[in-house]
Amino acid sequence: MTRRSLFLMGVAGATVGCSRGHTQRLNVFNWSSYVAPDTIPEFEKEFGVRVRYAVYESNEEMMARVMSGNSGWDVVFPTNYFIEPMRETGLLAELDHRRLPNLGQLDKPFQSPAWDPRLQWGVPYMWNATGIAYNKKFDPAPVAWSDLWNPALAGHITMLDDPVDVFAACLKKLGLRANTRDSGELRRAQREAIAQKPLLRAYLNAEVRDQLVSGDVLAAQLWSTTAQQAIDASPQIDFVYPREGFAVYLDSAVILRESPRKELAHELLNYLLRPQVAAAIVVAARTATANGGARAFLPENIRNNKTLYPSAEVMSRGEWAQAATPEVQRLRDRLWTEVKSS
Amino acid sequence: MNRLRLLFLTPAGIVLGALFLAPLAIMLAYSFLTRGAYGGVTADFSFENYQRVLDPLYAVILLRTFVMAATATLGCLVLGFPLALFISQSGARKNLYLQLVILPFWTSFLVRTYAWMFLLRDTGLVNSALLAAGLIHAPLPLLYNDGAVFLGLVYGYLPFVVLPLYATLERLDKSLLEAAADLGARPWITTTRIVLPLCAPGFRAGALLVFIPCLGAYLTPDLLGGSKTVLVGNVIQNQFTTARDWPFGSAVSLLLMAIVMVLLMLLIRRGGEKLI
Amino acid sequence: MKRGLALYAVAAYAFLHVPLLVLAVFSFNSSRFTVWEGWSLEWYRAALHDGQLGEAAWNSILIAVASTLVSTIVGTLCAYGLWKRDSKWLSGSLYLSLVTPEIVMGISLLVFFQWMFRFLHVQLGMHTVILAHVAFSLSYVVIVVMARLRTFDASLEEAAMDLGATEWQAFRRVTLPVLAPGIAAAALLAFTTSFDDYVITSLVAGVDSETLPMVVYAMARRGANPVLNSISTLIVAALGALILFSERLRES
Repeated sequence: MTRRSLFLMGVAGATVGCSRGHTQRLNVFNWSSYVAPDTIPEFEKEFGVRVRYAVYESNEEMMARVMSGNSGWDVVFPTNYFIEPMRETGLLAELDHRRLPNLGQLDKPFQSPAWDPRLQWGVPYMWNATGIAYNKKFDPAPVAWSDLWNPALAGHITMLDDPVDVFAACLKKLGLRANTRDSGELRRAQREAIAQKPLLRAYLNAEVRDQLVSGDVLAAQLWSTTAQQAIDASPQIDFVYPREGFAVYLDSAVILRESPRKELAHELLNYLLRPQVAAAIVVAARTATANGGARAFLPENIRNNKTLYPSAEVMSRGEWAQAATPEVQRLRDRLWTEVKSS
Repeated sequence: MNRLRLLFLTPAGIVLGALFLAPLAIMLAYSFLTRGAYGGVTADFSFENYQRVLDPLYAVILLRTFVMAATATLGCLVLGFPLALFISQSGARKNLYLQLVILPFWTSFLVRTYAWMFLLRDTGLVNSALLAAGLIHAPLPLLYNDGAVFLGLVYGYLPFVVLPLYATLERLDKSLLEAAADLGARPWITTTRIVLPLCAPGFRAGALLVFIPCLGAYLTPDLLGGSKTVLVGNVIQNQFTTARDWPFGSAVSLLLMAIVMVLLMLLIRRGGEKLI
Repeated sequence: MKRGLALYAVAAYAFLHVPLLVLAVFSFNSSRFTVWEGWSLEWYRAALHDGQLGEAAWNSILIAVASTLVSTIVGTLCAYGLWKRDSKWLSGSLYLSLVTPEIVMGISLLVFFQWMFRFLHVQLGMHTVILAHVAFSLSYVVIVVMARLRTFDASLEEAAMDLGATEWQAFRRVTLPVLAPGIAAAALLAFTTSFDDYVITSLVAGVDSETLPMVVYAMARRGANPVLNSISTLIVAALGALILFSERLRES
């Protein structure tokens, strides 16, 4: 009896599984909290399609899923320094600008970014900088990366669980370029990271947000977007762009080469470029958009938000992240393993 | 007879061949190739990956993994034996007590790990309770250290030692115990001098069942250890994601497999429980 | 000694069960934080109305049922075949798959599926997850069924054949019914391990096969979350009920 019903359940499940998907279905894999609640439903309604939308927490997580080239995803949102390796490993499809009339909405600097000057591979989506999110109990308030080496805060500091970010902070602390290719400089940065490790509570990404809000963590290396979400949740939290300089990243929307629905994928990219859509995403997700046209639709308090849209003076300290050469990536990875193993 | 037997074994042979041995063979092939500049694999044959495994850095990580797995195994054995002894001596309630050990094990490993994250946070229940009781003045850093990883592993795998130990205890020749008691041995002496040595096969099986998954653990150090330590599992996972060095990742995986195989052979040689 | 042991057992059971109980209790807490503010079903409502969660749960069930079905059938046949006469190769491979660390098995399968993709255009998806689950649960099934076979008296089968039954009939009519409880236990084990697996699944999953453990992991990575408490409690309760139900079935 049970065996038979189990079997029937299996057959029923299989039929249900096959009968799904008559309408076209676009598979979108994005960072968590990176769209407005109605962004995707509105797109589905307007184009009469279904979207399978899933989220990830790190570039590595996304890469692990799509690198096989047979993952089934159509659109993903890598950070700018991931575009080159993804292109080189043949994962990306070239964009068709005739299908992206809204590209003109982008801010001037994002029309021809250094990593993709003709926007062949990705549409700039949101940008982010790495700074320090802290609890106002932290007195005096941190202003520099070196404040995260303060022994008085031992056990209440976190750094991001990402070699690129941690090395960028260490290099900046030393007054060096975050994109350095010099192995000696990278080793000096590694010594800083090792010296800091005993003071750290953990290496955490987005999960630190709740721990900042609850007061477990007093200072954290964090992305401006995530920091803003923490600030919204608690008046006790603030964010600072460190004095020594900081790394700036841009997340781009790209279409994977494996995608059998490239036309529809272009429609989504073009839709996300609409000023109203981009503005709604900024309001909901607290991000900094690359879309200049969206600015007109943003409420005053967001347009003037110092965390999301720092002043030109602050931005002059920022350094855009570049793709590391394979040698640098390999060395950094090894040094990172040594840090973790120390 | 033989035809039916062959027919019965064929599906399992296909499954194991296609989904276990073939993947391992491809990995073996990859481990002798070279990584491409941006990931992927190029067809240049080399032993480089195995030379890199011998690097002191990875040797230290391997050693740390061994120490962590061994301590967790020891913890499980020490905590598990009295529990198994208790169950085997509780007469009619045996089944109930055994089920109570297994029940948490049926539920998701992730949920069990998360439960400890929830308990050990600064604002978690343990710290709140200690603060409320006035025993401490500031929250203790319970989460994100090797202790938390150890706890997570012991919690995750404790049932794996209780079951084989219980099974051995059940098969124990009861007359030996009675004889010892008749000769005036106290329960404590009987347990340590007679029961404990006779449980050796159970200890061996339990140790193996805990030690091997601990060797490959990577979720526990990530979630409970706050990514502050690396174990071999993390190195492997890292090679296939961040570092994009599949050949090296394959080499480390195969090294781990080789270690596991040696352990398994030792166990079988020593006359462990025959399972299959 | 006896009293000491009982005392110890109480502590050990507390160690095993209290963490999950705490989680369950706090899933009914109306506050987001670990401060008790009052009873509430808010987080259950949030969990049940989450479309993604529902889909993930459905995927998990589908995958677990399909892989259990295949691995139970294949594993039972295999155990019977090996019981008749051992095959060094097969039992060796089974042993090895039993002790292969999950991360190694998952990655070798990922590499394998990616390699296959070049020739057969196999996309990652529900089917690759099911295949992977069959691969790792097969050895469990064989072990459990084998344990039952060891207690089975081979002469029963011989008697049936002496009375004119074919080999197949003897297996089907005599051995299989005796094995039934063992097979059920094996299926239960295969089902729960499949339902629980994260490491291997996350590596070989495609777009349409996000499972419940994958959602749980993503949420745990984002930090403590009362919705996660309620999901965890639901998972524990559902699996607990399944096990109790199967126990009943076995007794009746």
